[in-house]
Formats: sequence, structure tokens, C-alpha cells
Amino acid sequence: MIRPLFLHRPFAAALAALALVALPFAAVLATRAPLPGDPAIVAPLEQILLWHSLLPRFVTALLCGAALGLAGLLLQQVLRNPIADPSTLGLAAGAQLALTMATAFAPALIAFSREATAFAGGAAAVALVLALSWRRKLDPVTVILSGMVVSLVAAALGAAVVLAKGDYLFSLFIWGAGSLNQQSWDVPLALAPRLLLGFAASFALLRPLTLLALDDASARSLGVALLAARLAVLVVAVWLAATVVAQIGIIGFVGLAAPILARALGARRLRDRLIAAPLAGAVLVSFTDSAVQILGSATADLAPTGAATALLGGPLLLWMLGRIPPTVPPQMTSGWRESSRVRRPVLAVSTLMAVAAIVTLGALVLGRGPDGWSLATGQLFADLLPFRGPRIVAAGFAGAMLAAAGTLMQRLTANPLAGPDVLGVSAGGGVGLALVLFLSSTVTPWTMALGAGGGSLAVLLAMLLIAGRAGTGPARLLLAGVALGALSMAVVSTVLAQGDMRGYLLLVWMSGSTNRVGAAEAWIAVASCVALCLPLFLFSRWLDILPLGEGVSLAVGLPRRLGRLTLATFAALLTGIASLLIGPLSLIGLVAPHLARLSGFAQGRHQLAAAMALGAGVMVLADWLSRVVIFPYQIPVGLFAALIGGPYLIWLLSRGAESHD
Amino acid sequence: MTRRAMLALPALLGLASPGRGQAPLRVATIDWAVLETSLALGRPPVAATELVQFREVAVEPPVPDGVADLGLRGTVNYEVLQLARPELIYITHFYESSVPRLRLIAPVESFTLYAPRVDPFPAAEAMMRAIGERLGIAERAGRYIAETHAELDACRQRLQALDGLPVIPINLGDARHFRVFGADSMFGAVLARLGIANAWTEPTNYSAMAPVGLEELARVPEAWIVMIPPVPADASRLLGRSAFWNALPNVRAGRVLTLGSIDPYGGLPAARRFARLLTAALEQAGAAKRD
Repeated sequence: MIRPLFLHRPFAAALAALALVALPFAAVLATRAPLPGDPAIVAPLEQILLWHSLLPRFVTALLCGAALGLAGLLLQQVLRNPIADPSTLGLAAGAQLALTMATAFAPALIAFSREATAFAGGAAAVALVLALSWRRKLDPVTVILSGMVVSLVAAALGAAVVLAKGDYLFSLFIWGAGSLNQQSWDVPLALAPRLLLGFAASFALLRPLTLLALDDASARSLGVALLAARLAVLVVAVWLAATVVAQIGIIGFVGLAAPILARALGARRLRDRLIAAPLAGAVLVSFTDSAVQILGSATADLAPTGAATALLGGPLLLWMLGRIPPTVPPQMTSGWRESSRVRRPVLAVSTLMAVAAIVTLGALVLGRGPDGWSLATGQLFADLLPFRGPRIVAAGFAGAMLAAAGTLMQRLTANPLAGPDVLGVSAGGGVGLALVLFLSSTVTPWTMALGAGGGSLAVLLAMLLIAGRAGTGPARLLLAGVALGALSMAVVSTVLAQGDMRGYLLLVWMSGSTNRVGAAEAWIAVASCVALCLPLFLFSRWLDILPLGEGVSLAVGLPRRLGRLTLATFAALLTGIASLLIGPLSLIGLVAPHLARLSGFAQGRHQLAAAMALGAGVMVLADWLSRVVIFPYQIPVGLFAALIGGPYLIWLLSRGAESHD
Repeated sequence: MTRRAMLALPALLGLASPGRGQAPLRVATIDWAVLETSLALGRPPVAATELVQFREVAVEPPVPDGVADLGLRGTVNYEVLQLARPELIYITHFYESSVPRLRLIAPVESFTLYAPRVDPFPAAEAMMRAIGERLGIAERAGRYIAETHAELDACRQRLQALDGLPVIPINLGDARHFRVFGADSMFGAVLARLGIANAWTEPTNYSAMAPVGLEELARVPEAWIVMIPPVPADASRLLGRSAFWNALPNVRAGRVLTLGSIDPYGGLPAARRFARLLTAALEQAGAAKRD
């Protein structure tokens, strides 16, 4: 039991926070290498460095951390989800996409104002997410689901633009990783008044905020105008986070970690947490920022601060998993759990498979060449097959595998947000790959495969360890996955921020390109899909029972631990192999199971089979589009998976909502 | 006869004329340094990557229209490469991972130009010589290398008349960060041959170091700040009103230059372009200073 430090000893807590902020900063000043050269020239420069670079940077770190901590707390409170944070709403991805697009296509916008461009993108993404969930009265689950879809689409689109422009946009990697270097007071002067306004608004909304944590019926019976209250809180939170993202970039994990940290330190009442969470955020970012400066070389930080906060925040969150009070996992609201069932599921699944096969055939023969569109037959077909065949096969089977993995994870955790990307297994592959790029001077397909496979496996083992621990509920498993995923992506962003050729290779992998797939990889995809997916149909009873919760599982005599562990192993292996082939960004593991369920495949094995057929079909179509749309240039397949799957999922969600309102 | 065939005819005649009785090797390249090098030797490849971007970033030598665009360097369009029917594919070690695919099309030869703490200039020379020999134009390659040395020497002579201050070659990421090119970059290698010190003496990763906070420029108050494009659209505006930037001794003394675009991972043609642009810019700025 943690002593409720914050509640009983506010002065001790404040003092501890001050020490954690001031001592490292003092160390930064003390350990800084003095400027070389003539003292007469150097002395004024040192003054300028202190007053125009080091101090504004220090203040910026504190302000960013506080704003993100407050934004995260508000979002978690209003969405009733312990893993909600500014990125869940698509805000960060939207802002980054706006900057990327503006840099590439409308530099005048950037010249006008970088911050305004980013802010507009972030706000647009959030507005889109809110519009999509408006019909469902901003129901928390729908909001988050729409936010994730919008984020992934934006991230894929952004990566495609960066790739299409070559190493041109390396400033965006810096921005994406959230570097805090300052040479003026502009940023802190912009942040401070906004943070104060955010605080004032939060305290004004204290009562509705407290009630919003209750479920809808109780809140309504206590007289809260649900929609208006939620919207007001969301606006404040989004505005705070957008300001930070626009001024600095993405500072990973603080919005997620700070509120949890505050609670773990004993801030229970909302009024206390409104103070404690921003404080925790400020300490976290400031401490990290000092650490990267002390640990870095004389001229460069160890890592961009935004990436480093995720490096600190990830393990912190994992460590605290056992200490946070149990939370209710977001349940699928009835609106889309009970879509009308398919009458003859076997026939329907067969039809889906046939459609997938036809799409595959079309992708094999139809394409663009130097002389325009052509149907490849005869010699031309034989010439192109060694390149078209493997990528189509790999895309299809990887899509099927990710769909299967997603189905397993969603059933396993009874959480609609679960998916291969969310559980961090695919991101882990990126860390392995980054390690290989750093440690060896030449990169071969084998070392790349080894690195990515090893990374995925490491995250998988960590996840299994966490899942196997007593008392790990679905929500905690998901939280652990998010923590590990963010940790992994932080490492990847750090490498990307180096702006060199290795970063470029990682970006290619991240964007999910099937272009480099050869015959060997294609056969691996086929073999692993067959070997890993067929046994799943033996577990179909588990798939039906696990989502009903622990009580039911126990009542019907399901070996709970064993069941979980087995299904989790399959899901992780499927993810690891598939993300090696088509990258970690694809939306397919999240979307395909949804599509299957929303189409009315309710039983576990039917949903699994339908999701696999849908996943394969969508990925093959995406791969074909990635080949022909901007020929001879190629857009990563992950982008098209997201562009096809995302809008469809959103459409189905809104249709489900209509029939139930 | 189609227009395409009409256009191809002179080329065919031209190819037949050298009198050796065989058509020159059909070469494709994934790497820009190789592309530059073979263009400089007057033997454009049948296919190369990212031509749109190459024309903008590397600028010279010009790419003739007949070269097929293979798409992005990171995602080579193998179908187009196959249809271009190359007999030899050149890569550098950055693209090692695509070798198995490329071998299905034609034999692959690889060069290593950029490696940590290694001077890329001799490697670029060796590459030009190797390509020259492979294409049967070793003499022309030897001549180009000699010309390169002569041009660098000439630039060195001209620069001796100037202030002799060190240079820090950077590329602005945004108004707060830059990437700096060290001794193992082509810019660093050329500076050494021009007899100018590179003000950045810290180690780098693969020739460049990024991101570096702008405040680090305070460590090199003597140096000429030489900016390699692209310069982000808002950076110059923000720098103009930055108290820090305007307090830097280099900035106050006007020691800031922006060159034309140069491929930072190029071969000998990029090295020559950098030497020429830098010398001209320093001379112009130096002359302005004497006024």
C-alpha cells in the first residue's frame, strides 16, 4: 500500500517535486562544457546561452509537462478510459500530418505560421473524430475508436508523403520526436497563458467532471447535461494538448503517465488530481529533459526529450500496473455488439473467400507499365510474376494473419481497442530492426528479419509475463501493451530523428511496404498462416466464452490461465511474422475483426474466418493500389489498408448507431 | 514508324558508331552517387531512382529524358526495372537488403562510399574508376578524376586569398535545429582538400549529425555558417528576429552563406559542385566585406 503522500503531506510532495526539478537542472548548468575561445568573445555568448537557450528550455519543459498532464487527466476522466491521452483523439497525428503536407505542398503555410498549421491539423482531426461519434452522443468507446482510426490514417498518409519527398523532411522527425531546444522565450510565453486558462476552465468544470466519471445513467440522473459537459471538457483538453503539439511536437506518454502517477501518489479526489497530475507531468518532462542534456555529448542531447519521456514513462507505467486501482474496461456498447446475425455463416464466409480470390487474380494480371495500363499475359506475365506474385501472396496472408491476431486480442481482452498495433508487438519489431541497423554496417534481409523478429518476440514474452501474472485483467494487459508499444516507438523515433540513411530504412519498414518481399518471404507467409491459423479453429469455444468475462469462464470450467496464455501466444506470433512482412502500421488487425462482427459473424470461429478473408482481400487490394496509383512511385501498402479499412469501419459504426437510436 | 522508334533511331546509330562492334552495357542504378558518376562519364543508365527529386536536389549533371524512373530509393519499382532490361545493376551498401530481388533481374555490383569515420573522397574516386573500367571508358574516368583534382586545386588557390576562417556546413531542420556534416561527409572531405578547416570536429553518424540544437553554433563563433538547402520556409523569418541568432558573432559579421542545392550523399560530381559553389560564395561574400 502506497502512502497517500500527496493528500497528507502536500508540502513534502511539493518539496520532493521541486528537488526533482531543480537538482537535475543545476546539474545541467554545472556539467555543461564551457564555450571554447577568447573570453572576451565567449563571456557575452555564455550569458546569451543561459538567458535565451537554457532557461527558456527549462521553463518550456515544465509548462509542456503540466499542460500534457492536465490534458491527459481531463481526457481520461471524460472518456472513462485509463489509456486515453492526447494521441487517442488523433490530435498528434492530425497535427503532424498537417505540417508534413504543408511542408511538402504548401510551404507558404509553414512560412505563415508553423504553429497555426499544426494546430489546424490537430483540431481538424479532433473535429472529425467528434463528428463521427456525434450520433452516439460522444460515447467514450466510439470516440476512442474513431480517434484511433483517424490517427492511423493520418500517420500512414504522413509517412507516405515523407517517403515520396525523400530525406527532405527531416525536420519533421525532430518535430515528431519532440525536441525541447530553445533559443528564445517565444514558446514559454505562448504556453504559459494557455496553461493558466486551461487550469481556470478545468476548475470551473469541476462538478460536471466529477460526475462524468460515473456511468451515463447515473450522471444524467444527477442532472448533468452529458453532451455539453463532455464537449466542454474535451475542448479544454484538446486545446491544451494541441498547443503543446503545435509549439514543441509530440512528447510521448506524459498525458498518459502523469494522471496515473498522481493517483498512485495518493491524489484521490478530482480536485487534488487536477493539481497533482500537471505537477507530475511537469516533473516528468523536466527531469527527462535535464537527463538527456547531462547524458548527451557536449553538443547533442542523448535523445529528443519527447522520445525520452516515453522511454521513462513506459517502464514507469509497467511498474505501476499492479498499483493502480482496478478500472472498468471500456465495454463494447450494445449498439454494435448486436448487429443482425448472418443467417448462413459458412456460405457467407465462402463467398468472402471467393471475392478475395478474385481480387487476387485481378491484382496479378492488371497493372501499369512504362507504356500505360496492361493485362499481363504470356511472356510479360512470366517476366513480372517473380515480383508481383510474392508481394501479393505476402500481403494477402499477412492481412489474414493480422486479422486473426486482432480477432484473438479483441476476444481475449473484451476490449474493442485491442489489436496488434495496440499491444506493442509490431512496434517491438521496429526496435529490433533499429538495433540491427546500429550494430552492423551492412544490412541484409537476414539480419533485418532477425532483428525485427527478435524485437517482436521480446515484446511478446514481456506481454505474456505480464498476462501470466495474477490479477492482470484485460484493461491492464492493454495498458501494458500500450506502454511497451510507446516505449518501442520512442526508440524508433530517436533513430528517425538522426535523419540519416538508417532512419530512412526504418521509415520504409514502418510504412509497411511489400515491395521488398521475395519468394522465400511469401512462402514463409503461407506456411506460418496455415500453421498458426488452422489450430485456432480448435479453440473456437474459448473464443466465444472469454469475452463474457472471468465469472462465466470459471463457471463453464474453462482453464482460464491456460486459455489466455495459449491464445495470446498465437496472437503474438501471428503479429510478429505479419508485421515483418507488411510493417507495423496497418490498420487491418483492428479493422478486419470489426468488419466481420459488424457484418453479423457473431460466433468465434465464424468471425475468425470472415475476418481472415476480409483481411486478406483488403490487403491484396491495398497492395495493388500502392503499386498503380502514383506509378512508377509506390505508396506504402499500410496507407491503403488504412484508407480502405478506416472509412468503411466508420461507416459501419454510424450505421449500427442509426439502427439503435 | 512510331514517334518512340524515331527518337530511338539516332541513339541506335550513335551506339553502333564507336566501331567496337558491340552495344554498351545497359546499366541501371539504385543509388544517386552512381547516377551522378555515370552521367558525368556521359553514359546515362537505362534506369535510375527518384529522378524528380534528383533533378531538384543534385541539380547536375542533367538527366536525359530516356532514363526510366524507378520510383523511390527505398521502394524500387522492380517491375519497371525488369522491363528496362538492364545487364548490370549498381547499388551502394545502403541498399544491400534489396540484392536478392535485384539479382533476379541482372548481376549486382555494390560500392561503399559513406561509412563512419571514413573519408568518402577516395571511395568516390575508386568508384568512378571502377565504373569507367566496367563500361570500357576507363580513360574518360581517369580524365574526370584529374579534372576534379585540378578544379579543387584551383579553388584552393582562389580561397588562399580570402580570410581562411573555418566553415561549418549545415542543413537547417527548422528554426531551432540543424544537421551538421562532419569529416566523414563529402562536404568535410572537400573542405579538407580546399585547405579549409571544418569547424565541426565532433563525431557524426554516417557523415552527418542530427538533430543539433541551434545554440551549438555559439561554439564556433569564428566559422562561416554555410547552409546547404533545403532551408525550411519559416526558418529564415524566425531566425531574423531571434535574439540568440542575431547575437552570434558569425551572424553579426555577416559570415552566413546559403549555397545552391547539393546532394549530401553524392559522388565526385557533387564534390566538385560543392567546391565550386562554396568558393564562389566565399569570394563574393569576402569581396562584399572589404567594401
